[in-house]
Amino acid sequence: MKSSRVLALLLLALISQGAGSDWRVALPGYRYSFPRDYFSHPEFRTEWWYYTGNLQTQSGRCFGFELTFFRHAAGFTEPESVWDVRDVWLAHLALSDIDGGRFFHVERINRSGPGIAGASLKTARVWNGNWQVRWVLDAARPAAFTRQSLEAVSEQFRVHLSLESKKPPVVHGKDGVSQKAEGRGRASHYISLTRLEASGSIAIGGEEFKVEGLAWMDHEFFTHQLAPGQTGWDWLSLQLEDGTDLMLFRLRREDGSIGPYSAGTFVDAVGKTKHLALSRLSLVPEGDVWRSQKTGARYPVAWSISIPELGLAARVRTRLPQQELTSRHSGVGAYWEGAVEITGTRNGRPLHGRGYLEMTGYAAPVKLRAD
Amino acid sequence: MPYWKLFNRLIVRPLRREPVRTLLAAFAVALGVAVVVGIELAGNAAVGSFRSSLDTLADDADLEITATGGLPADVLAQLTALPHSFRFEPRMEDFAFLPARNRTVPWIGVDFIANAPEQDASPGDSDPADRFRKEQVWVSAGLGYKSGDRIWVLIGDTLSVFIVGGVLSKQPGEVLAADLSLTDHLFRRQGKLDRILVHIPSGRSIAEWEKLLRSALPPGAGVEREGSRTDENRRMLAAFRWNLRVLSYIALIVGAFLIYNTISVSVVRRRAEIGILRALGATRTAVLLGFVGEAACFGLAGALAGIALGRVLAASAIGLIASTVQSLYVSSTPASVELSWEVALLGIGMGIGVAVLSALSPAWEASRAAPLEAMARGRGEHRVQIRKLRGLLAAGLLAAGAWIASMQGAVDGKPLFGYLAALLLIAASAFAIPALVSVLAASAAAWMRRLFGVEALLAARGLAGSLRRTSVLVGALSTAIAMMAAVGIMVGSFRQTVVLWMEDRLQADLYLRPATPGGADRHPVLSPEVADRIAALPEVAAVDRFRAYSIRYGGMPATLGAGDARIAGRYGRRAFLSGAKPQEVFEQLTSTDSVIISEPFANKHGVKAGDILSLPIAGQPVRLRVLDVYYDYSSERGYILMDRSRLLKYLPDPAPSNIAVYLRRDVPLERGRDAIEPVLKGRKVVVLSNRSLREEALRVFDRTFAITYALEAVAVLIAVMGVAGALLALVIDRRREFGLVRFLGGAQAQVRRIILFEAALLGLFANAVGILLGFFLSLLLIFVINKQSFGWTIQFHWPVSVLTGALSLVYLATVTAALYPARVAAQLNPIEVVHEE
Repeated sequence: MKSSRVLALLLLALISQGAGSDWRVALPGYRYSFPRDYFSHPEFRTEWWYYTGNLQTQSGRCFGFELTFFRHAAGFTEPESVWDVRDVWLAHLALSDIDGGRFFHVERINRSGPGIAGASLKTARVWNGNWQVRWVLDAARPAAFTRQSLEAVSEQFRVHLSLESKKPPVVHGKDGVSQKAEGRGRASHYISLTRLEASGSIAIGGEEFKVEGLAWMDHEFFTHQLAPGQTGWDWLSLQLEDGTDLMLFRLRREDGSIGPYSAGTFVDAVGKTKHLALSRLSLVPEGDVWRSQKTGARYPVAWSISIPELGLAARVRTRLPQQELTSRHSGVGAYWEGAVEITGTRNGRPLHGRGYLEMTGYAAPVKLRAD
Repeated sequence: MPYWKLFNRLIVRPLRREPVRTLLAAFAVALGVAVVVGIELAGNAAVGSFRSSLDTLADDADLEITATGGLPADVLAQLTALPHSFRFEPRMEDFAFLPARNRTVPWIGVDFIANAPEQDASPGDSDPADRFRKEQVWVSAGLGYKSGDRIWVLIGDTLSVFIVGGVLSKQPGEVLAADLSLTDHLFRRQGKLDRILVHIPSGRSIAEWEKLLRSALPPGAGVEREGSRTDENRRMLAAFRWNLRVLSYIALIVGAFLIYNTISVSVVRRRAEIGILRALGATRTAVLLGFVGEAACFGLAGALAGIALGRVLAASAIGLIASTVQSLYVSSTPASVELSWEVALLGIGMGIGVAVLSALSPAWEASRAAPLEAMARGRGEHRVQIRKLRGLLAAGLLAAGAWIASMQGAVDGKPLFGYLAALLLIAASAFAIPALVSVLAASAAAWMRRLFGVEALLAARGLAGSLRRTSVLVGALSTAIAMMAAVGIMVGSFRQTVVLWMEDRLQADLYLRPATPGGADRHPVLSPEVADRIAALPEVAAVDRFRAYSIRYGGMPATLGAGDARIAGRYGRRAFLSGAKPQEVFEQLTSTDSVIISEPFANKHGVKAGDILSLPIAGQPVRLRVLDVYYDYSSERGYILMDRSRLLKYLPDPAPSNIAVYLRRDVPLERGRDAIEPVLKGRKVVVLSNRSLREEALRVFDRTFAITYALEAVAVLIAVMGVAGALLALVIDRRREFGLVRFLGGAQAQVRRIILFEAALLGLFANAVGILLGFFLSLLLIFVINKQSFGWTIQFHWPVSVLTGALSLVYLATVTAALYPARVAAQLNPIEVVHEE
């Protein structure tokens, strides 16, 4: 895999270029507008779209999926040639066959070129080759961006889902920014669609499954995010049976402490949100560790959550510990992203749910620094 | 008595007794085999294992997508959106020149983001941040650069410096690779791709995937199996290799004559022994096998030596062949010469086969001889005389056969019947030679005496007396001379045709082209502003910008070109096959979507004036009417020519591959040159005057035919050696005769002169027959074989000086070859010789 190292270096080089240009940074007061903000923001350096979800067949067989599009700007100048590299587009596709005990993941990297990858309001899609999410517009209500079609094909498996948004888009953080560290612009603009009803099909090899379930979309764009000394983060998206959703993240530092800007968002059944600062939540690993053979990283795959003001106490577990994605690109590194289950109580009553857990920086510190 | 013992005594011992003659015969075979093996090996190395040099970095792809003039970039966007797990590798392919290495190497533009090639990346050898800068190129290990080096590259007329970003350590050969983005800028591709390589997913057959892709592509783009271009080039090179091979077999044919001669001598010499053996009960088969075995020994010994010699010859031939391939056909780097088992076996088979075949007739004759008759001397020669008429009849029939064969068309692009006709002609001449020689010798006898005295008379009589042997020698030498003369006439005619054609074609005063060397498939370009600025100079009357693209038509490489038809119409004197006025043709060319095509293109693809060519250009299907066919000798691949403004509609790149500058009539050449000079400042442009362009063209022409001359020389060398060997045999055979001459008072010098006169006469006869045969063969070469293999119309022309020079040289060599036998004859001890009998 010599070529992989070359690519890693290449991407790193791309990522570290252009610092000091006039990149826009995430600042409070950003005025969101949809559908515009579902698509690309080339004036920010980095942007990503995460689609994750828990699916099951009629007979109850469980699957998890992840489709992620990353955009990272290589330079600020507009290209003269169609092949000039203004942005590098990386994408990850993963499928967790939870009951089959299998985990598949694939990645690809492209330039926009003549339209190989991109995110375009005009065509209402975000794509990288034949992995794409297309918004399905309703002729009667053209402004209503609620339905999406997700298609992704790999050598081993394919995913084809129809997603219907049940809640309005959520803007995380305070005053339009999700602050990640101390300092002006050390933040991102972060929006989510927390409850997407998903239905469609999954095929592994020649075997096809009709599935339905719930999916989640995250879209984040920023120029600087992590501060020096920050090594990674743990992130959770939870969709609970009572119709509420929860997003939590925790920023880790070199010295093992937790960054003060770790936070969360609670979304109630009708879509009203509540920002949860670190002081109002507890998110701690429970000690169960899964060790990756490939990277040697030790991931805490069991967590406990407590949010007193919501009356919520819960434990997060996974039935498939090996949901680690290893990227060939050092800018991304290896990370764990997988389907999880939640069991706990809300105001004393039992509560269940499903979600996705992301843990980065365990194999090596995340290098998504822009400065 | 076992056969091998008999074989040993009858055949092997006599061979040992005359080592010089034995060695000469074996050496004739050796040289013949060496030439065949050498050309085969060099051909294998130069073109046999041919892989288009643009196919580097294209390993293990399954399919490839191409379009004339390039694929629009959007095609890739459409393909990558297909819901199948294809892997695509977009490529731009061109050539660049490395001044430091004096080498033209392929420049491959690849997608470094999506499909980075493998290289050695040692972390820490440079700052990662430097690795993807715009000025980075990656190099194959063979070029000898390392990461971080600066590398100067000439692209078109522009010299630029790049940083070596990495070394492609597993990539054999010489190649530069860079990202598509850099390549697009440097080579002005406007985003267009030359190829998209496709790796197919599993699950369906390659044919099904091919079909699926085709349906997803625009009409101007095609899908093929990866490597089809290499196959096409191989097909194109096949005809060239064929002709080369045929030339190499000439040497073997000449060798065959000599084996025939050697065995005949052997038979005639041992007639008495054969008679005794037969009388003692040896079967006819035993005798036949004995002589065939003798030939096989020569063949085997010759072949073994020939293979070793061929390996050496190949090393020197490969450069010549490679340069011909480069200038006429396609860019390629020759592989190293490797002696394979196949070629070695071919050499042995050829050596033994030719030896045995040429020995069959004398061996058969030996086995047929009645024992009594054989024991008596002298009748063998008598019978030959009776056969002269039969020989003439056979010659007539064979010549008629040759005539018929020459009327046939090509078979699968190869002039098989042309070769057959040539063989038949050679055979006809072989049959006619005894009659010719007896007439010539008889008539020579009288005036030889008058002119040169009694030795000359004896020499002429001697030749006429041993008519069979003389005929064989004349046959061998004349065949070699004929081949040489024929090829000489053909090449000379071709050269003269090209000279005349250039006079018509090249009317401009100055020609400019980028310093990056071009080739049959490489058309580096000048910066467009160079042409514009020159056109604006007051000294300049007109500038004709010519642009060429290497394309594929009908599964074969071709060249699509465009010049300014208005200017060509005003100044050019291009000759059309139809005889149409150039002005009228060019007028039509500017006003309609139409083309003119070169003669080789017309012949190769069976296209004629009035036909419609449908040519996909840059993804669009274009229909072009063929206005006329023009004479052209500049490219074997064939040209399709359009008007510049028409082609720019489809391929809007204004950069010309070369430009022709017409100065105003009152501007002298030097002033024009001086006026242009400042425009070219900072660019690498070659400026040629009309005259130097012509000289350069002829230099290329001569270099192209150098290999042909070399092969001819070897054939003649074999023939001359044969003459030496045969004369030596003659001397040994006629010891008694020379002994008697000495006994009767002949001086040593006189004996020597007899031999030298014989050689002189042999050479004369051979030259006479050779020129006659050569003339007919040259007609075959020019009007049948060349026309069918390459499609060029060549005007017949006698290259008098070349022929005279070459023939005199051969003549001189023949006489020189007789010096040693003459000395041997002169030194014979008359008493001893006469005693022997």
